Amino acid sequence: MLAKTKRGLWRGLTALLVFVLCISMVLGGVLEANAGTIDTALGTVSSGFVSEQNANNPLYDKFTPPEEFLNADGTGNSRALITAAIELNRREAAEGSVLLKNENGVLPLASGANVTLFGIRSHSNLLGSSFGVKAQGAYISLEQALSQSKTDFANTIAWSVGSRGAPPGPTVGGWSGDEFDFEGAGYNLNQTMIDIYDKLGETYVHYENEPASEQYDPGEPSVDEIAGVNSDYKSSFAQYGDAAIVVIVRPSCEQLDYMPGGVVDGLDFESGEPFSLTKNERDMIELAKECSDKVIVLIQSSASVELGSLKNDPDVDAILWIGAPGCYGFLGVADLLCGRTSPSGGLFDIFTTYNMSAPAMQNFGRMFYTNTEGTITRTGGVLGFKPGAYAIEAEGIYVGYRYYETRYYDCVAGSGNAGSSTGAYASSGNWNYDDEVAYGFGYGMSYTTFDYAIEGEPKFEIGTNANGSPSAFATFSVKVTNTGSASGKTPVQIYGQAPYTPGGVEKPAIQLLNFEKTDVLAPGDSQTVEVKVDLQYIASYDMEHDNGDGTKGTYIMDPGDYYFAVGNGAHDALNAIMAMQGMDASKMAGQGVAAQACKKSVDESFISKTLFSTSKTGYKISNQLPYSDWNYYQPGEVTYLSRADWAGTWPKTYDSMTLTSSELIDALNGKIYELRTGDDTSAIKWGVDSGIKLYEMYGVPYDDPKWDQLLDQITLEEAMYIFTFGGPSIPGAESIGALETYMTENAGNGIAVNLSASKDPDAPWAIPRSDPNGTWHPEVFANAPMGASTFNPELMYELGEFTGIESLFTGINILWGPGLNTHRHAYNGRNGEYYSEDPVLSGVAAMEFAIGALKYGLVAAPKHFAFNDQETERGGVSPWMTEQRAREVELRAYQIAFEATKYDTADYDAGMRGLMTSFSKIGAIECTSSYGLMTEILANEWGFIGYAVTDIYDDVDLWTAVLNSGTTCFDTRGREGFYGNTTLDNCDLFKTQMYSDPLSAHLIDGDANLQLKLKDAVHKNIFAWSESHLMNRYNATTHFGSRMTWWRATYMGLEIGSGVLAVACAALYVMSSMKKKEGK
Amino acid sequence: MLKKLSLGGYLCALAAVLGLAGAVLTIASGFVSADNPLSNLPVIAAAVFAGAVLSALPIVTSTRFGNFDLIGSASIIAAIALYCYAFGAAVSQRVMLIAGLFSFNSGNAAGWNVFYVSVGAWACLLVGCLMLIVSGFLRSAKENA
Repeated sequence: MLAKTKRGLWRGLTALLVFVLCISMVLGGVLEANAGTIDTALGTVSSGFVSEQNANNPLYDKFTPPEEFLNADGTGNSRALITAAIELNRREAAEGSVLLKNENGVLPLASGANVTLFGIRSHSNLLGSSFGVKAQGAYISLEQALSQSKTDFANTIAWSVGSRGAPPGPTVGGWSGDEFDFEGAGYNLNQTMIDIYDKLGETYVHYENEPASEQYDPGEPSVDEIAGVNSDYKSSFAQYGDAAIVVIVRPSCEQLDYMPGGVVDGLDFESGEPFSLTKNERDMIELAKECSDKVIVLIQSSASVELGSLKNDPDVDAILWIGAPGCYGFLGVADLLCGRTSPSGGLFDIFTTYNMSAPAMQNFGRMFYTNTEGTITRTGGVLGFKPGAYAIEAEGIYVGYRYYETRYYDCVAGSGNAGSSTGAYASSGNWNYDDEVAYGFGYGMSYTTFDYAIEGEPKFEIGTNANGSPSAFATFSVKVTNTGSASGKTPVQIYGQAPYTPGGVEKPAIQLLNFEKTDVLAPGDSQTVEVKVDLQYIASYDMEHDNGDGTKGTYIMDPGDYYFAVGNGAHDALNAIMAMQGMDASKMAGQGVAAQACKKSVDESFISKTLFSTSKTGYKISNQLPYSDWNYYQPGEVTYLSRADWAGTWPKTYDSMTLTSSELIDALNGKIYELRTGDDTSAIKWGVDSGIKLYEMYGVPYDDPKWDQLLDQITLEEAMYIFTFGGPSIPGAESIGALETYMTENAGNGIAVNLSASKDPDAPWAIPRSDPNGTWHPEVFANAPMGASTFNPELMYELGEFTGIESLFTGINILWGPGLNTHRHAYNGRNGEYYSEDPVLSGVAAMEFAIGALKYGLVAAPKHFAFNDQETERGGVSPWMTEQRAREVELRAYQIAFEATKYDTADYDAGMRGLMTSFSKIGAIECTSSYGLMTEILANEWGFIGYAVTDIYDDVDLWTAVLNSGTTCFDTRGREGFYGNTTLDNCDLFKTQMYSDPLSAHLIDGDANLQLKLKDAVHKNIFAWSESHLMNRYNATTHFGSRMTWWRATYMGLEIGSGVLAVACAALYVMSSMKKKEGK
Repeated sequence: MLKKLSLGGYLCALAAVLGLAGAVLTIASGFVSADNPLSNLPVIAAAVFAGAVLSALPIVTSTRFGNFDLIGSASIIAAIALYCYAFGAAVSQRVMLIAGLFSFNSGNAAGWNVFYVSVGAWACLLVGCLMLIVSGFLRSAKENA
């Protein structure tokens, strides 16, 4: 059958080679279209800046890594960098882990002890989240940290598994770089149990970065299965019975939540909920008791694990929360266990005995409007989200400890029906704090004890600034004395209570106002710590306040008695206040120490009731988010929780809301902005050449007229590119000499780019692929709650600084992180990426991180602004809440971070220079498109100046509304090759627009408002670039250059080779055909 | 005519059928989700249909002009190029969708539907190309027919 003539051979070969040619062209097209991403994955450099460098044209002179990370010749010292990361992650975990229980002095456990580890996660460790804040690369395991003294990175690589079935894989290809000495706990571990868990790991497969699940199974083997591997395992207990350490894990992740009752059948969860212990986990603890009379439980979670039973179990001696500690954090855990360091962390969230008792849990889950179909016409977007999801956050301001502590206070006070059985879940009968709460917010033990006392009167500094903004601070001098027998440090947490009138503005009985941390104090030593509190954070937002100018709503300071207290957590501080108030001690849970509290009577002469009605920018504050409240559209349908009547206002479950308001339906359908087409835009200047280039803008203040010239120089089309394509690859603008650059990456726990895949490979300190440690991945730090629990602003700043240093080595100048949303409840699967339930703790942590990062030219862009309260239906879910709740809980965290008042000077208005918006809406309006949120609050009230990007591909169908709101660009991951492969007109993301034509270069030619908004957005974006280490790479000679990479050479070689051969074969085929014809 | 066909001819016919199936699936992939359309879908679909027609052409020309004739050969080459073009044009538009499905957006049910239909279309086109390559080495018609 095979053709016997050569014609068949040449034709067949021609066909084959044409196929190879076509496929290599396809491959080349795909690779070039995603070159930045390919470079990151493969460690290649396919394009870059080309510049001359001389005395007149300096480069890399604006931001440089500290000398300790450089070799003598100025090149990067990878070993020093990794050593520092190990040390910092170790301190992060040592200071962030929280000792919750320590009976009989079980901890610390001296080096040399013979220890048995229980629980499969003691062997298959959890380090980070499955997506979002992974811990990447080689790591130090718990077993290694407890028993070894040198890393085994080559054989200890972190894996990750995605949520919803995404396949597992190693976070790096391997490790052939340096190994590092360390000082571990020095324990002798029971190898018998290690071997058993190693074998069981074949069945119970776990990964270092693992997701939450809607049907959760912790994957803990039973005691019978342990015996099935080695029936004689108990004989090892006698030799390794100095202590038994049990590890319990509840992971976190992007995209998924835990769900109420969402557990795998047959595992006998203690409360039927995923944060309670399964029978196998409880059996493991019983087994630990058989092994040793010293039982220590390590809790790994980013949310409250239901620990009531363990707290009350006299045979469980110690409980230590250790979060998801990152790649080297187990060293810090080892430091705590062996007593090298005394614990000093405080809980980031309240730990309840039953998480479903939170009022927020009445309205969490997968809820859709009953008439979504046929009413909501807007689709779920390119990410396939489902329209019509919502959550009525009827708990009001009573989130986390604000609920439990306030209800406790009212219980003792006998007010507001607080003691009723409504909302009592763990209590037998009436609501009882001790039954409902295991460990309070901010609480943490040490190996020593401390006394706290507020010395003298707080120093109040009340006034107004030249712009009319308030300047009202109170500084508390707190004397901390180490009254125990071990050295240690402790957080100094200042809380406050504003006067509450039943029926008036809702106020929590206690709220964190600020914190510091002591130095390490030797036994008997004292230190006076000054904690400065911005009094605006004890002000309340009164939505009904008449501002007298036709607007409503602002912050108020009601006259009355304000109480302040220091304490080991919110509960201790509240008890101190209650003691000072003379409340009935017999009804209190715990004792109050009045010396820890103080009182200040406030009247109009001391602080005006409306002092905080003006923001720090001098902007008058009024309601900006009326559409956040369901009742705004359909009055009277939702009742929010009020402490005036806990029982009567306990949240109903609003799981069948129906849309009737046409205004509401229009808003949900994205009818937010109407594009204008006939405006006279001639006064708006574009493309007016002033000869200014981007490289000249470093250090130019935002309000300098030079910016106006630069912005006028940019063409309208260039401006549209910069707004439309916000990264990771960001378009250039030829008119100002700006080049397309890969600028942005994740994440809050380190830069997600390998050292040797730097986006700035020409930096003098760049670490080449030939470096033995070149594959080190800098995303190694702990999940966010660990950082929060340190209650250490200096350490939070250090984490930001180090991430900034990482960014210099990886060439990333904008970071999509840290996470800054609120832990509305324990079930949010993404709590691991967010700090806390408390806005002050979260806000301070993010502020310190961002200011530290900016020191090295890294713009930290916290996410997700705002209201990303759940991952379930996260794309466009509508959280409904009062504006008071929005401002006092979620937004306060961002406000603290963005205002960064602590770092303001007379000459410099400090602040974060970036953010990422949320997938979610605020009420009916997308956050990306909310003018009230993005312009009135963020820009006008808080003075935010910088890069404000959407989440990935979010609301790309609302291009005009997003621009109008004040958002400065879209996250368009994967899009690059601008003005060529990717244009405004051809980009598939923006083809479908609600209420406007598809995106084109001329879409806003006739809309003056949007052109001005565009100018503002571009100004903010470029200003953020100009404050970053991107400017290291620019001088007067900088231009763009393409570079050869192995993958580019491969596909080009294939194209050329197959093309030439195809032509040759075709020619031979034709010649053969002609010969045959001639032959005939 | 079927009786006159040799293996190469059958493979060309199969490639044409695969091309038609690929065209249908490509069009379908552009309509599975309103949020995931295919840009230039008419052009892509036309390319695949043209490729299918060209795939079948050697069956006709080989019986008229003999095996390995110039027109039939050119049509095989052109069909391969058209199938590859359609494959590349579709793949390049689905890269980010697929990247999302295997990472941060694995819960995108509509996206998975687009993915499955697209993979079906691409499989048809690539297998069609392989059929055409193999047919290039073979006679399309029986010599003595």
